[in-house]
Amino acid sequence: MSAYNFEEPSRQSAKGIIVIFGVSAFKLVKGLFIVIVAFLLKYLQSDKGPDLSHPKYLLGAMGLVLFFLALAVLRYLNFKFYIKEDHFFLEKGILNKEEVSVSFSKIQNVYIKQNLLQQFINVVSLSIETAGDDKTEIEILALQKPKADDLKKQLLAAARVKQETSVESEEDKIYFKASIKRLLLEGISENHLKSFVLIFAFLTSIYNDLQEFVNQFDFTTRFREWFRLDSESFMTLILFNVTIIVALLIVSFLFSLVKMFIQNFDLTVTRKAQGLEISKGLFNKINLGLTSSRIQTTTVSTNRLKKVLGLYKLSFTQAMANKKQQQNFNIVGLNINQIDELVGQFYPDVKNRIVPRKPNRYLAYRILWISSFIVLLINIGLYFLPGWFLLLNLPLLVFIGFNTYFTYKKSYYHLDEDYIVVGGGALIETYTSYLEVHKIQAITMKQTIFQKRRQLASLQVFSASRSITIPQIDITTALDLKNNLLYLVESGNKDWM
Amino acid sequence: MFANNQIDVSSLPKVEHLEMHPIHRNYLYVLFINIFLVYGSIILGLVIIRTFSDDQSFNQFALYAVCALTVISLFTSILYYLGFKKRKYAMREKDITYSHGYLVTKTITLPHNRIQHLEIARSFLARKLGLSTLKIYSAGESGGDIAIKGLPKDVAETQYAFLTKVINERL
Repeated sequence: MSAYNFEEPSRQSAKGIIVIFGVSAFKLVKGLFIVIVAFLLKYLQSDKGPDLSHPKYLLGAMGLVLFFLALAVLRYLNFKFYIKEDHFFLEKGILNKEEVSVSFSKIQNVYIKQNLLQQFINVVSLSIETAGDDKTEIEILALQKPKADDLKKQLLAAARVKQETSVESEEDKIYFKASIKRLLLEGISENHLKSFVLIFAFLTSIYNDLQEFVNQFDFTTRFREWFRLDSESFMTLILFNVTIIVALLIVSFLFSLVKMFIQNFDLTVTRKAQGLEISKGLFNKINLGLTSSRIQTTTVSTNRLKKVLGLYKLSFTQAMANKKQQQNFNIVGLNINQIDELVGQFYPDVKNRIVPRKPNRYLAYRILWISSFIVLLINIGLYFLPGWFLLLNLPLLVFIGFNTYFTYKKSYYHLDEDYIVVGGGALIETYTSYLEVHKIQAITMKQTIFQKRRQLASLQVFSASRSITIPQIDITTALDLKNNLLYLVESGNKDWM
Repeated sequence: MFANNQIDVSSLPKVEHLEMHPIHRNYLYVLFINIFLVYGSIILGLVIIRTFSDDQSFNQFALYAVCALTVISLFTSILYYLGFKKRKYAMREKDITYSHGYLVTKTITLPHNRIQHLEIARSFLARKLGLSTLKIYSAGESGGDIAIKGLPKDVAETQYAFLTKVINERL
C-alpha cells in the first residue's frame, strides 16, 4: 500500500550527514558565539595578534572540522528507525547506545520542518511529539519529502484509528493562504513599541561593549559635530535624543516587519476533518497539525489599526506541545468572517451564545492607582528638570485616562455549560479567549487584601496549557461560577483530551 | 431514557461551606528555621568578612546589607506567621481544595478526575518533625497543581492512598 517499507530498519537520507554536521557546527558556533566575537574584536584591535594563517591554527581548524565530520558520519551510521507492531523504534548513539520506542497511541503530533540548510539540499526533518514526557525528543533530520509524508501518514493514521474511529475524509482543501500584501500590512500594523522595548533592552544590555566599539569609530565626536553638542543648549540635546529615538523606532519597525515576514512567509491553512494544518516559514519551513481534541485555549487578537485593515490573528495553545512549538500555533492575516468560521469550527455556536458580563469597576480603579503611582515616580524625576517639562504630564494623563477607560470597556466574560469566553485589551489591543469547560484542569480563586475589603475576587481557570483569568468579580459571583464549573467538570464524563 | 433537567445553581455543593483543615503547627517551625538558615547564613557570612576586611566602602555596604536583610527576614517571618492560619485544605468526594497566602489568598480546587499523578515529598527538617508534603499534579502546564505542605506523615499517607484509589477506580 505504501511505496516505502518502514518495517525494515532504515537510515535517513545520506544527505543527513550534511545536516548533522551543519546542526552540530551551528550549535558549536552558537554556544561559543561570545567567545568568538570577543576573540575577533581582540584580533582586530591589536596589530600584533596571532597570525591566523600560521599552519598551527590552520591544522587546528581543519582537525576540528574533520572531527565533527567524522562524528556526523558515525551518528548517521548509528541512526536507524523502523516500525514494528504499532510501535515506532529508533536506535541511535555512537558509544552510548539508545533505543527509543513509541507506541502509536502515544503519538501526539508529527511535525515536518525544513530549515535553510535542509531547503538547500532538498530534505525535510520529521519530529514526533509524544504524550507525557516532553523531554523525549525524536527527530529524524534528513528525509526525502515524499518519504517523510508517507511516514507521517502511517504514524498518524495508526494513531488516529485507535483514538477515534472516524474515517479520515481526505478532502484537504486549502482554506486560507496569506498573500504577501496581507503579511506586509500585518507587519506594518504590529505594535512596534514591543519590538522597540526589545531592541532598547538589548542595546542597553550590551551598552558597555557597544561603547568601546563606538569610541573606536569616533561616532560620538561626529555626532557632537553634527548637532553641535558643545553649545550644550537644550534644544540640541533634545534634538539629539529625538534622533536616536526616531532611529530606534525605524529599526523596530523594520524588525517587526522582517520578523512577521520570515515567520509567516507562504502561510497556508488547510482544513481537515479533525482540525487544521498550518504550514509557514521562510527559512524554517514548518508544517503542523492542530487537532480539536488537543486544543486548549484559542485567542483572537487584533489592534486598532489591524481592525481598520480587517486583520485578525488566531492563536491556539495545545496540550503537551513544547514551549518553542507553542509559539507557532497561530494564524495571522485572517479577516473577520474567517475568524468566525474557524472559531465556530472548534467552538460550535459560541458566537450566538455570548452574553457579556462585566467585571467590577475596581478593575478600572486599580489601573488608576497603579498609573498614579507611576506618574508620581516620573514627576519626581521631572522635578529636577526645567519647569516646562512638567507639561509632559498632560499627554501622559490623557493616555492613562483613555487606557483605563478602554481596558474596562473591553473587559467582559461569558460562561455557559460548554464554554468560557474572556475578552479584554487596552487602549490599542483587543483580544478574546475561548476555553471549553471540559478542558478545565483546576480552578483557583484569588483574593488580595485590597480585594478582600471590597468583597471581590479573581478566578483563574487552568487548562492543560494556558490559564484564563476572569478578573475582579464579586465574591459571591466568583464562588457561584467556581461551584458551577466544578460541578460541570466533575459530573461530566467528557475527558479533557 | 435521556434526561436533561435544569440544574438549580443555588443547590450545587458549595466550596465556601467546606470545613477546612489546618495543617500541622510544627510546619511553622520548619518555615521559621528555613528563613533563619537562609538569611542567617548570608548575614553571618557578611559579618565574618566584615571583621576581616579593611575595605571601608565594603564595610559600609555590608552594614547596610545586614540591616536590610534583617528587616526583610523579619518581614517575611511576620508574613509567614500571619499566612500560616490561611494554609488549609479540604477533601470532598470529587475534588480537593487547598488555600494559602496572606497578601494574596489563593484557593485552588482540583477535581479528582483531572489528577495526573501524586507524590509525597519529605524534606530533612520536615522528616525530623514528622511532616510530609502531598503533591497533586494535574495536566496543567501553567500551574493548576497542589502542594499541601506540613501534613502529618500518617495523614499524608492516608490521603495519598485514598487519592490513588480514586484514580485507579477512574480508569
